[in-house]
Amino acid sequence: MIFKHIEELYSYRNLIWQLAWSDFKLRYKNSMLGYLWSLLEPLLMLLVLYLVFTNLMKNQIEHYQLFLFIGIILWGFLSRATNAGMFSIVEKANIVKKIYFPRDIFVISSCITALLMSIFESVVFAMFMVFYRIPVSINLVYAPLILLFLCIISLGLSLALSALNVFYKDVQFIWQVLLQIGFYLTPIIYTIEIFPKNLQKFVLLNPIARIIISARNTIIYSSPAKMEDLLFMLLSSIVFLFIGYIIFSKLESRFAEEI
Amino acid sequence: MAAIEVEHLHKTFRIPHEKRTTVFETLTGAFNPPMYENFHALNDINFTVEEGEALGIIGENGSGKSTLLKIIAKILRPSAGSVTTTKKLTPFLELGVGFQPNLTAAENVKIYATIMGMQKREINDKIYGIIEFAGLEKFKDTKLKNFSSGMQVRLAFSTAIQTDPEILLMDEVLAVGDMEFQQKCMDVLSQYRKDGVTIVFVSHDLGAVRRFCDKTLLLNKGKQVVLGNTGEVLDRYVYGGGNEALNSSEKQNESKIAEIEVKSENKTPMWEDKEIEITNVEFYDKFDNKGARFNSFDPMTVRIFYNAHKKIYDPVFGIALYSENGENLFGTNTELKKVSIDSIEGKGHIDLLIERIPMITGRFLLTVAVHTHDQKPYDWHDKQYSFDVIPTCRDAGIFEVPCNWKI
Repeated sequence: MIFKHIEELYSYRNLIWQLAWSDFKLRYKNSMLGYLWSLLEPLLMLLVLYLVFTNLMKNQIEHYQLFLFIGIILWGFLSRATNAGMFSIVEKANIVKKIYFPRDIFVISSCITALLMSIFESVVFAMFMVFYRIPVSINLVYAPLILLFLCIISLGLSLALSALNVFYKDVQFIWQVLLQIGFYLTPIIYTIEIFPKNLQKFVLLNPIARIIISARNTIIYSSPAKMEDLLFMLLSSIVFLFIGYIIFSKLESRFAEEI
Repeated sequence: MAAIEVEHLHKTFRIPHEKRTTVFETLTGAFNPPMYENFHALNDINFTVEEGEALGIIGENGSGKSTLLKIIAKILRPSAGSVTTTKKLTPFLELGVGFQPNLTAAENVKIYATIMGMQKREINDKIYGIIEFAGLEKFKDTKLKNFSSGMQVRLAFSTAIQTDPEILLMDEVLAVGDMEFQQKCMDVLSQYRKDGVTIVFVSHDLGAVRRFCDKTLLLNKGKQVVLGNTGEVLDRYVYGGGNEALNSSEKQNESKIAEIEVKSENKTPMWEDKEIEITNVEFYDKFDNKGARFNSFDPMTVRIFYNAHKKIYDPVFGIALYSENGENLFGTNTELKKVSIDSIEGKGHIDLLIERIPMITGRFLLTVAVHTHDQKPYDWHDKQYSFDVIPTCRDAGIFEVPCNWKI
């Protein structure tokens, strides 16, 4: 059943890519300047947070600019992918009502669009790495795996959100609030150590927290990812995708009527 | 082998009295289940379409035609029953699905062709042909938003016809565009027919249905009225045979007439000497059924009911036919046809037999009058009756001119 669906999706790979690529182009209005503008937001955020936290808070984190940047990029991807994914069905109402193909194609392609958007930030990040002469080690091999988990979690969330957004108009506002709360409950601008010892284990229940911590360790600090973290990420990405998919397929049959 | 098999298909839409569109409303109303109205859009539909066959689906607005087509296309799910298709479906429910105004013509063709199920290599091979066929070579890198709607339709159409359909679902696509475009559509449809493509065709254009479809399904308010040979079904549809849809359109006509009557009474003084009153006019088709819709080139009878309040000698009955815009197309009376009526008294009727309706399509208005030989009117109903003519040929215009080509 699942394999059959994956096979079907594979046969639509060209469509998924076309939708993702055209959305990407539309977002930047086909101009190089558009791409550059999109970098401004995360860079500005990086600058402000960096100035605030190094000068006012006097924190002692090593390579704080990179520490911060990686958190902003990864959290930015999650926020972008889920926001684009949430509207992927609603925005494509004219297609949904006129032709059939598996509807999760819209969600998958919107997540790919978000991924494309994050690539530019990653390039700038790589330039930072070179500029600050950060050595990379063999432990970098964990990074793609960690990113894959993040993508799967984002897809699972997007599937659920896109389906719910068809039926409930306030899902978008609720999700914005949750994302905002999540930003501060996740060690993005600070290390996990600022949480009291007994609360840290609750913070680590959030798979995104583990993803960001592991990504930092493997990319900036040249240390291997912890097996416990990898397992937790694997498990939670399966759970997120599974639940998201269940919600999506339960509601999918009524999309064309409700939009 | 059956390409499409529809069995006991039902579709019910649940229409909530008060729609809950937010999580908040849903949570607060959890103990107070919402009230629903069930709307049965389709009721027990059964048919099969054999491979290479063309099925027409006709019916009034709201009879469930498009819903049925959407269910076959898998866009909507049936509430009960099943639809089985054995081949690849290509729906033409709308042209240009997924067009993005901010992308160029070439980019849009790529996306649209992909949506329509074409493979990447095929698209790359055909893209210039598609743009050329639409006559837009010069504008291939122009953004779609700068195109006229005609250009957009042309682009969508030339893309859509590049798909290689096995089962084609068509919904009123032909209704848009000018004559030339409609002609192109017809040619493509004919070609698909020749190639043995299975076609399901929903249309109000009965002429097109008659030309292209082997079988026709007539729906009325979600129920399958009749399925069969196209000619028979169209006759049944046009001439009603007592179906409700026809009655409703008659009622509309009546109310229209009543409205006109009120107006004319207000405007014009009662200058008719109502010694003879025209009480009603009815139209009869070739099966002697009353109706207001006729196939072009079919026979028709106009029956004028009168009530002579006293014995009148030598009255003249006349009619005048108008187009919907009020142009006088034809007029005649009993005097001109050298028919003399000795005398009439009391209630009765007179028939005007039309052997062959020469009009091709449109709504026509009829004026009916009764007067003396020296034009002194007894009664006069100006353009108060109307009927529709449904095309059965491909010629254009209002009237058929009998003619032949010769080289």
